[in-house]
Amino acid sequence: MSYSAIASKLGAGEMVILDGAIGTEILRRNVTWADHQLATRPEFVRGIHEDYIRAGADVISTNSFQLCRRALYNHFRDDKHRHQIGAADLDERANQLLAASVHLAVQARQSAAGGRPVAVAAAITTLEWCFRPDLAPSPKQAKGEYREIFQVVKDAGADLVLLETLNSISEARAALEVAKSLALPCWTSFVCDDRGRLFTGETMADMVAALEPLGVDAILLNCAPPGDINAGLKELLAHARVTTGAYPHIGRFDPPEWMFTDEYPPARFLQVATSWKQMGARILGGCCGTTPDHIAALGDLRS
Amino acid sequence: MRRYTLIAMNPILDALLSGSQPVLIDGAMGTELVRRGVRWRKHGLLTDADKVQQLHEEYLAAGAVLIRTNTFQLNPRIYLNVFRNRQHMRHIGAPGLEDLTPKLLRTSVRVARQARANSAKEKQAVIAGVLAPLEHCFRPDLAPGFEAARGEQLELARVLAEEKVDLLLGESMNTIAEARAVAEVAGAVGLPIWISFVIGPEGELLSREPLEQAIRAVEKLGAQAVLVNCAPPAEIGRALAKVKAATKLPFGGFAHIGRFSPPSWKFEFFPQFSETESWPPERYAAEARRWHDDGARILGGCCGTTPAHIAALAQALKTSAKGAKSA
Repeated sequence: MSYSAIASKLGAGEMVILDGAIGTEILRRNVTWADHQLATRPEFVRGIHEDYIRAGADVISTNSFQLCRRALYNHFRDDKHRHQIGAADLDERANQLLAASVHLAVQARQSAAGGRPVAVAAAITTLEWCFRPDLAPSPKQAKGEYREIFQVVKDAGADLVLLETLNSISEARAALEVAKSLALPCWTSFVCDDRGRLFTGETMADMVAALEPLGVDAILLNCAPPGDINAGLKELLAHARVTTGAYPHIGRFDPPEWMFTDEYPPARFLQVATSWKQMGARILGGCCGTTPDHIAALGDLRS
Repeated sequence: MRRYTLIAMNPILDALLSGSQPVLIDGAMGTELVRRGVRWRKHGLLTDADKVQQLHEEYLAAGAVLIRTNTFQLNPRIYLNVFRNRQHMRHIGAPGLEDLTPKLLRTSVRVARQARANSAKEKQAVIAGVLAPLEHCFRPDLAPGFEAARGEQLELARVLAEEKVDLLLGESMNTIAEARAVAEVAGAVGLPIWISFVIGPEGELLSREPLEQAIRAVEKLGAQAVLVNCAPPAEIGRALAKVKAATKLPFGGFAHIGRFSPPSWKFEFFPQFSETESWPPERYAAEARRWHDDGARILGGCCGTTPAHIAALAQALKTSAKGAKSA
């Protein structure tokens, strides 16, 4: 397990650099991301992981955003309809691709880390759409689904799970409990709004109070613009005792793709990250719109 | 409130419906564009409008006398649904998302009209503006109620009417309520309306509402033709027998071929079908010809079908018509 090296760094108060975007980086390289490209172009996905490792990332996250049984099943009325008109592999596809996403990250580490400790984080988001807490399943239902997902990524060799773009305390708690029951290190990362609140309207204080007793390893904020992350981080740092971190998105969501802007070139991205380091955050990286160049710039945070 | 607007006479459309000849409609747009490598963003209408137009032209050259706008499930909800709310969309979304739908709808009609203008069939082909379910076509549980659907579909229908489609086609309608809404807005914008229902595993609407009841509901609202679509050929064949028994209107169907292979994260319908090679053009044409022989007059292809399928169907229907005459 490569997480111990990361844990010791964090324990010593050192900075840990997370990677940047995978999905939008695939798009930026002019390839569709509709099916994650895990089965169709594995070497392409692995290449992006390698670029992030070479850029200095200590933790790389798998190309598995929203990849789960539920996401595929949601395209059908029910099981009967899916079996009638759906592709034959659909019942197994999510788990196969999840495992593949971890394998590709592990392979990238073997080929590009050069002996440097790099951890593979299985990136798992909400079971329903990340920006829509109103769609979330019940905690009981969620636990069953997370258990299946986490077991797959654990068996495939993930060092930790990065629960990202979470939008509610209840789903985060359900997922975290499952991760801990499987002895997986677990970082929980939330999207926040410009008031520094979760998308349910819940406060950072309440979220921290709910998750810290369950043994969360770090709490982060992600998938919001730097300004919103800044607002959230102030709130988070005022309450959290565990390690904190952030990885904002840059550019604009242009569904189903992403619009890249020059608002945050690597140098400015580093400035923002530096201010968060000064505030107390220790895990920093990039979400949608960021590139290996942005992660390379974060190397200055170590000094 | 129901407004009775005079439905514009369309001599070509009227001739198609009143004659006894088969009415050949086109095949799939979305799945075929994706198969050709078009990246499915904004229905290809911003980045690949030339390829959309080219595909329309190929369907016309294959023998289709009705082409459908590339507007399946193109409505403001598909963008709004992936944000927390409208404010969030303005905050982190690309500029212009709120006003994007009408712009794309207009482009879709323009490329269809340009394709027709470039075609030898310029004087004989009609353009159907496609109105689809506002939510995912395979999720009747998410469908809006009648009032909400009517309001939102009316906005779409107005744009399609302004751009001069010849009729509206309510396609893959999965609930009676939304089908009624679509039929009503067509009346409000003065366009003829055809309604096509997506068929579920029970052989009724995907919502499990009885097909017969659905047909009666849209007949009352002035539907000029009734169709069934987006189910495998065998199910379409069975549904057509029910349609035949339920209506005196011209009717027909267009089946999908292969298996729906959705993407692993996206929210709304994504046009990707695999294993379509199990239905080569000749096999599909032979099947659809049987539907014609059993009384269906309006025939085409849904997801997975290509211009080659429509060309094969045109050929099969020619021999079918000869057969009918000599009998």
